[in-house]
Amino acid sequence: MTASVAKRKPKLPSQALLAKTFHWVNIIALLLMMASGLQIYNANPVFGGRAGWDFPDAVLLGGWLGGGRAWHFAIMWIYSLNLLAYGVYVFVTRRWQHRFASSGDLKALRASQNEKRKNFAKHRLIYTIIVPVLLLAIASGLAMYKPAQLHWLAALFGDWQTLRTVHFMTVPLVLAFSLVHSLLALKVGQLRLVKSMFF
Amino acid sequence: MGLILPRHISRRQLLIGAGLSGAGLLLNGCGTSLGVRQVRQVTEPLNQAIKALLLSQSPVPEFPVSAIEPDKLLINSFNTTPQLDPEQFRLGVGGEVNQPMQLSLADIQALPLTEMVIRHVCVEGWAAIVQWGGVQLQTLAKLVQPKPGARYVYFTSADGYYESWDLASSLHPQTLMVYQKNGQPLSVDNGAPLRLASPIKLGYKQSKWVTQISFENDLRPEQGYWVDRGYEWFAGL
Repeated sequence: MTASVAKRKPKLPSQALLAKTFHWVNIIALLLMMASGLQIYNANPVFGGRAGWDFPDAVLLGGWLGGGRAWHFAIMWIYSLNLLAYGVYVFVTRRWQHRFASSGDLKALRASQNEKRKNFAKHRLIYTIIVPVLLLAIASGLAMYKPAQLHWLAALFGDWQTLRTVHFMTVPLVLAFSLVHSLLALKVGQLRLVKSMFF
Repeated sequence: MGLILPRHISRRQLLIGAGLSGAGLLLNGCGTSLGVRQVRQVTEPLNQAIKALLLSQSPVPEFPVSAIEPDKLLINSFNTTPQLDPEQFRLGVGGEVNQPMQLSLADIQALPLTEMVIRHVCVEGWAAIVQWGGVQLQTLAKLVQPKPGARYVYFTSADGYYESWDLASSLHPQTLMVYQKNGQPLSVDNGAPLRLASPIKLGYKQSKWVTQISFENDLRPEQGYWVDRGYEWFAGL
C-alpha cells in the first residue's frame, strides 16, 4: 500500500462539468460579442466620432452595421444566460465561499512567506475581479440597448459618451484579464491546470 | 474539417464544394457577413417580443432644457434633401380610417403644441439630447379615427424614404410630428416642414419630410428603407 502511494504521480486536477462548460461558452460568446461589437463601433467610433480610427475588417463580424447588430443582439443571450447559469451554480453549491477570493487570500498576499500560497491567492483574486467586469459589460450594454425603458440604468453612467466608453472599455479589460488569468493559471498549476478547465 | 465532411465525399466533389464556398465568400463581398440572416431569424423575433413587452404608454423621463446638446445631432439622409414649400405643403393622413384628411402646416400648428427634451439615439451609436416641438400623433389619430383593425402606421417621406411603426408606439404620448427643434423652427436638414420624433425608437425610425401617414391593418413586404436592408423593424428603446 505505502509503496503504491509513493509511486503515484501528482493527482491531476479535475474540474466540475459546469465550470468547464462555462469557460467554453464564455470564451466563444465573448469573442463573438467583441467582433460584432467592434463592427458596431466602426459605424461611429467611440473615440473621435466619424473622424475616429476604425478597427480593421479582420477583427469584425457581421460585414456591416446591421449585420454586426444582428450578431451582437443574438449572442448577448448566450453570453448573459451562460453567466447567469454559472452564477446560480456558484451560489447554490456555495462555490462562492471556497473557490473565490476571500479575506484569507488578501491576508496571504500581505503576510505570507509561502510563494506558492501567494501565487494561489493572486490567481483567485484576479479571477474574482473579472466577475464585476463581465456584469458591467451587460449593465452598460443594456443601458445603451434600452435607454428609454431603463432610463435609471442609463442615468447611472452619467452622459452618453461615458456610457459608450465604459461599454467599450470592457473589451480591453476582458482581453487583459484573459492574458493575466491564463499566465497565473500556468504559474499555479502548469499546463495541466489550464487543460483541466477545458477538457 | 475532416469531422464534418461526409465519409464518401470524392476529391472532385470536394473541389467543387470548395469552389462554391469560395465564390460565396466573394459574392458576399465580405466573408464575415456569413450567418447574419440565420442569427437574425432566430433571435430577432425574441428581441422584438421583449421590446414590445417593455413598451409602456407612460412618458419617458425628460431632460432639463439646460441639457440640450445642439452640436451632437448629426445629419443622416439616405438620399437627397427635398426642398418643400411650407405654403404648398400638405400632410395626408389616411388608410384604414373613418375621416381621411389633408392638413396644411397652419392646420397642424393650430393643434395643441407638445414640447419634449429627450435623447435621440442613432443606430450608429451616437446620441444627442434634443428638444422637439410639434403635435402628438395620437391627436392626429383622434382626428382621423383609425378603424378597429388598424395595427400599423406607415410614414412616407418626400425623398422616397418610408417607415412603418406598430400602433402602440405610434400612439405613445411622446411620439410627435414636429416642426420645431431646440425652440427654433425645424431646419430643412432636420426634416422641415414636418418630421417624426420620439424617445422610444431609434433615429432611423423617425422619418424626416413626412408627407403621408397611413394607418394599416397589415405590414407590407416593404417595412422601412433601412429595415428592408437589415436593421431591426421594432427598434424600440
